[in-house]
Amino acid sequence: MWEALEQTGWVKTLGSTGWMYSTVSVTHYLTMFWFIGSVAVVDLRVMGLVARKRGLGELAEQLFPWAWIGFTFAVISGFLMFATDAGDWAPSKVFHVKLTLIVVSALFAFIVQRGSRKWGLDPEISRAAKIIALISLLLWVATILSASEIPALEGLG
Amino acid sequence: MHDTLVAFAKWLEGTPWGLMTRESIWAYPFVQLIHFTGLSIWLGTNFALDLRLLGVGSRRATAAQVAQELFAWNWIGFAIVLTGGFMLFSGIATAFISNIAFQWKLGMFVPLALTWHVVVQRKARVWGQTSDTPGIARFAALTEILLWICVVTAAVEIPNY
Repeated sequence: MWEALEQTGWVKTLGSTGWMYSTVSVTHYLTMFWFIGSVAVVDLRVMGLVARKRGLGELAEQLFPWAWIGFTFAVISGFLMFATDAGDWAPSKVFHVKLTLIVVSALFAFIVQRGSRKWGLDPEISRAAKIIALISLLLWVATILSASEIPALEGLG
Repeated sequence: MHDTLVAFAKWLEGTPWGLMTRESIWAYPFVQLIHFTGLSIWLGTNFALDLRLLGVGSRRATAAQVAQELFAWNWIGFAIVLTGGFMLFSGIATAFISNIAFQWKLGMFVPLALTWHVVVQRKARVWGQTSDTPGIARFAALTEILLWICVVTAAVEIPNY
């Protein structure tokens, strides 16, 4: 099935056309940094480490819409990169770890986004909220690490 | 000039951190992690300001406020990027300095984007006093985004040259 995807006409064109593949890679890196950075700023705000004068709810409202736009582009471009070499990527254990971490991290980002509306109304942000934000932050660090480990451990990418 | 640069690159490759990045299988992903984590914070905070200057998205805070409240973490992000980038560079410095894409990245786009960023960040306090930003602010913000796209593009092209 993954081999078939790899052999699809447009996927082969994408994989063998230098500027197309580069464009997809640039999109992937750029939107990923944009997404993770935006979520990280909100996480740090929950933890009381950035923009303390600014309401949490308001900051989350400013950054999260961009974060999810970035996420969408990162997922689409990531899938396209995967498709060009799907047969090799699909069985990669470390890649499975990366995908799992992305799902869990995105879930935590969503929890932080939802929580920010409520947490921002309290005079003092609860310890529980801060722990959730810290987990969200660490999950993204782990996700980037897992991505960096794929070429190191499995020679892909 | 060129000889000095080559000598410097060779020296970097022999430093403990240069050796570690190049030869240790476990070190490289961690060094890349430092670079990428820093880039996320750096670009995330840069774009937040640029987009506010462009006037798109939530406008409840002014650009001046956004610039001020993200200032510290913006530069913390930059320090992290620089640390990771310097270590990555030290690993194979001689190959990097003769790589055309790397030359464009570090010789042209990074200095340009960085200088532009400093100007935008300083000017944001003036441009961003009111909710609506002047045309020059929107132009400057859009240019900054494009300059960082150039930086990332040059970086992505490094392995192809």
